[in-house]
Amino acid sequence: MPLDPRGVRFAAAVTTVVLALVLITGSGWLALAQAVVFALPAVFGMRWSPYGALFRLAVRPRLGPPAETEDAAPVRFSQTVGLVFTVVAAAGYLAGVPALGIVATAFALLAAFLNAAFGFCLGCEVYGLVTRFRAAGRPA
Amino acid sequence: MSAVGAIVVVAVLVVATVVGLALRARSGKVRTTTGAASGWSLAHVTPEPDDRVLLLQLSSPICTPCRQTAAQLTELAAQRPGLRHVEIDVGDAPAAASELHVMRTPTTIAFARDGRELLRVSGVPRRRDLLEALDSELTGAG
Repeated sequence: MPLDPRGVRFAAAVTTVVLALVLITGSGWLALAQAVVFALPAVFGMRWSPYGALFRLAVRPRLGPPAETEDAAPVRFSQTVGLVFTVVAAAGYLAGVPALGIVATAFALLAAFLNAAFGFCLGCEVYGLVTRFRAAGRPA
Repeated sequence: MSAVGAIVVVAVLVVATVVGLALRARSGKVRTTTGAASGWSLAHVTPEPDDRVLLLQLSSPICTPCRQTAAQLTELAAQRPGLRHVEIDVGDAPAAASELHVMRTPTTIAFARDGRELLRVSGVPRRRDLLEALDSELTGAG
């Protein structure tokens, strides 16, 4: 399913706010909630993204159809990367190792903000490199 | 409330803004470069008698700006005599990508007819800047 790039940016913006709140409140449960938000599209596909659904229902009707679409695979991969970081963050906060929680959340926040503010998807770049090295390792 | 957490938020947003602005400034910008490899042979293309410049675009299959770049360069090559556009997939040609030291897609490298590397653009090229930079090579004055 091709994605509306504006929806991807919107989801990244919501994620940025949530992750900033995690750092400010130090709440492991909020980090865990964000991990679930990442897990749904990572496991079941981008249709299951809660922030994506919010975009389709509340924002997109006001914007009209997108000028171009984006491939879902790299975005889905980036959700998996976000999932790993937020699971580590939640585990850190909830297990009484807040330093781990802060560092993991900080990296996730960096990636989410770069996507929201500049349209630069760090996880998608990594996806591109991974597929390339996989292709390079494949016998010709 | 975590004071450390709040400071980290501010620090991360500052760092991300600097990184983002640097990426934005670089994206689409024409950079004059040199390299040892000849794009014509890497692309397995023999220049036609009228070809003066090859725009070799390195793309990956799932890459939205690659499609925008391809559309733009195809149009440019159709309009401008002497300009040839070839797109290769780094997944199909990892050797070409490593020989040209390309890490990100899309990267477009311009080669003169004799194989000299002229310039590089990462991201979707800025059309006017690209044409300006190639003008002397295309008109034969350079």
